[in-house]
Amino acid sequence: MPDTNTPSDIASADAAAPAIEAHGLTKRFGDFTAVDRLDLRVENGSVVSLLGPNGAGKTTMVRMLATLLRPDAGSARVAGHDVVGEADAVRRSISLTGQFAALDKNLTAEENLRLMARLRGHRRGASRARVDELIERFDVEEFRDRLVKNLSGGQRRRVDLAASLIDRPRLLVLDEPTTGLDPRSRQVVWSTVRELVGEGVTLLLTTQYLDEADALADRVVLIDHGREIAAGTPAQLKAQVGEQRVDVVAADSAALEQLTALLSGRFELDVVREQRTLSIPAPGEAADLARVAEAVRDSRIAVDELALRRPTLDDAFLALTGHTATESEVQARERGSDPENAETPEEVAA
Amino acid sequence: MSAAAIRPADPALDERGGFAPARYVRDTLLLTARSLRAIPRVPERLLDVTIQPIVFILLFLYVFGSAIHVYGISYKDYLFPGIIGQSLAFGIIGAGVATSNDMTEGVVDRFRSMPISRLSIITGQVMGQFCEALLGMAIVIGFGLALGWNPHLTLAHGFELAGLMVLAVFAFTWLGVLFGMLVRSSDAMQGLGFIVIFPLAFMAGTFVPIAGMDAIPRAIAHWDPISALVAAVRGLTQGTHSSGSWQLDHPQLAMALWCVLILAIAVPLALRRFNRTLAA
Repeated sequence: MPDTNTPSDIASADAAAPAIEAHGLTKRFGDFTAVDRLDLRVENGSVVSLLGPNGAGKTTMVRMLATLLRPDAGSARVAGHDVVGEADAVRRSISLTGQFAALDKNLTAEENLRLMARLRGHRRGASRARVDELIERFDVEEFRDRLVKNLSGGQRRRVDLAASLIDRPRLLVLDEPTTGLDPRSRQVVWSTVRELVGEGVTLLLTTQYLDEADALADRVVLIDHGREIAAGTPAQLKAQVGEQRVDVVAADSAALEQLTALLSGRFELDVVREQRTLSIPAPGEAADLARVAEAVRDSRIAVDELALRRPTLDDAFLALTGHTATESEVQARERGSDPENAETPEEVAA
Repeated sequence: MSAAAIRPADPALDERGGFAPARYVRDTLLLTARSLRAIPRVPERLLDVTIQPIVFILLFLYVFGSAIHVYGISYKDYLFPGIIGQSLAFGIIGAGVATSNDMTEGVVDRFRSMPISRLSIITGQVMGQFCEALLGMAIVIGFGLALGWNPHLTLAHGFELAGLMVLAVFAFTWLGVLFGMLVRSSDAMQGLGFIVIFPLAFMAGTFVPIAGMDAIPRAIAHWDPISALVAAVRGLTQGTHSSGSWQLDHPQLAMALWCVLILAIAVPLALRRFNRTLAA
């Protein structure tokens, strides 16, 4: 594909600078340190994911990089421009899609896109043409004239993404693009992101979902309490976390003890008593599942559930830090918004 | 879709250095238009600023009014200038609620992360609220006239009244926008309105003469800016004379000075507040 960038798009002086270069970035809110001396480097053309639970500091980090929050310490350059001293140049280089759809809910999808195009300096005619392209590309046609407040979560996300791409940004920042979306909308967002990445867009993505980081990112930075816990390629992280796991949920705690006693000799077990769950690494996937299932069947001990599952953020934290990422109530909230478990229809997901 | 579908930024953007007035004006107009579009789509917002005065008109005209006698003027003519002052003051609450709702929406974050004049984001907000408040005011006045309010206006007084009211709406809108950015939620804004603006709007000689009030409310009412507003409107439309304090002796001048003072305080504070980052 021919690159259509002109010198006006990317000032030639900083074309070689990395998309993001942050050192010791820190943000405090009162006594609470949201981001604690975080370093981050995002090369041009790469996809980096900030992975962490709710409250880990992902959004604060993103807001500092997008010039919406002023760091208390440390420094950051986006496309070679300082986020404090050259905020205007930074704003010209990035496009931010926040955690909640950044649209005017009293305008229609099309009106929102038109407004953003006009604010970005396109004339009326050019805006119309560009918006039509985006509407086609992001499959917004069927609800282009509907007010944003009446759109579902997935539909809003599509409009939101389109609004971020009116001009080709040097860096696209997506803050939890799929949180709260149903699985189908999530797939749509993923495939859109993949397309953009294929076109060479540099992307910083925050997420609570390990599989999302795995699916989209070249490099993952795992953070908690505003600090970096681990960083590497998804393959490196997964090597530490382990691949798939088999979960066995016992019918009651007595059954759990029996199962633990029985299986501990044969498998490597993690026991989560509060959830009456035995978790067993399954690098062999279906074969391991079959071995565990056989053992459970032979034991004749009652189980509620036996399933192969992908590692979650909690597994990653357990493996890397020895403790889980989240307190139980936060966990419950996250599970409530987990697309994997969401059974709400798209209209409700909004 | 090909890569060509994503275009580089409009070159005009990159040539922009520092403050570009033409761009600022255009961004402000775009953002004002955005706010105005919400008026027909969220009719309850306009209803908020019009229904309350209308209820007060009906209550005081037909329920309490018979018990209130003001020397030298029919109660209807006494009441309407008070209602106008009161609804102008309630406009502060309306602008505050709308602003605090808007600021908590993600869309303002998007605007702030875009290469547009930040000043235009807030002036667009103010202009939208300002037009909405003027529209609300027109509805209230129209309702009053329909019920038989009889303002005795010379042409000169008419212009003076219109100018004063536009100035007051402008100043109160800025004040409301400032409050809207300071409070944590639109509920907090409602609370602030109820505790501070409600009493001030009631005791400003709105429904009963200040002279008959108890010593403490009378002292407050003498220096309540809304008293000056009500006295100014009443003086211009009914030819009444108010007294009791310097501002009530010169209500039109006092009101103009109040507006200038409010603007001198609210505008810089609102701009500073907006530029300071909102909590994450």
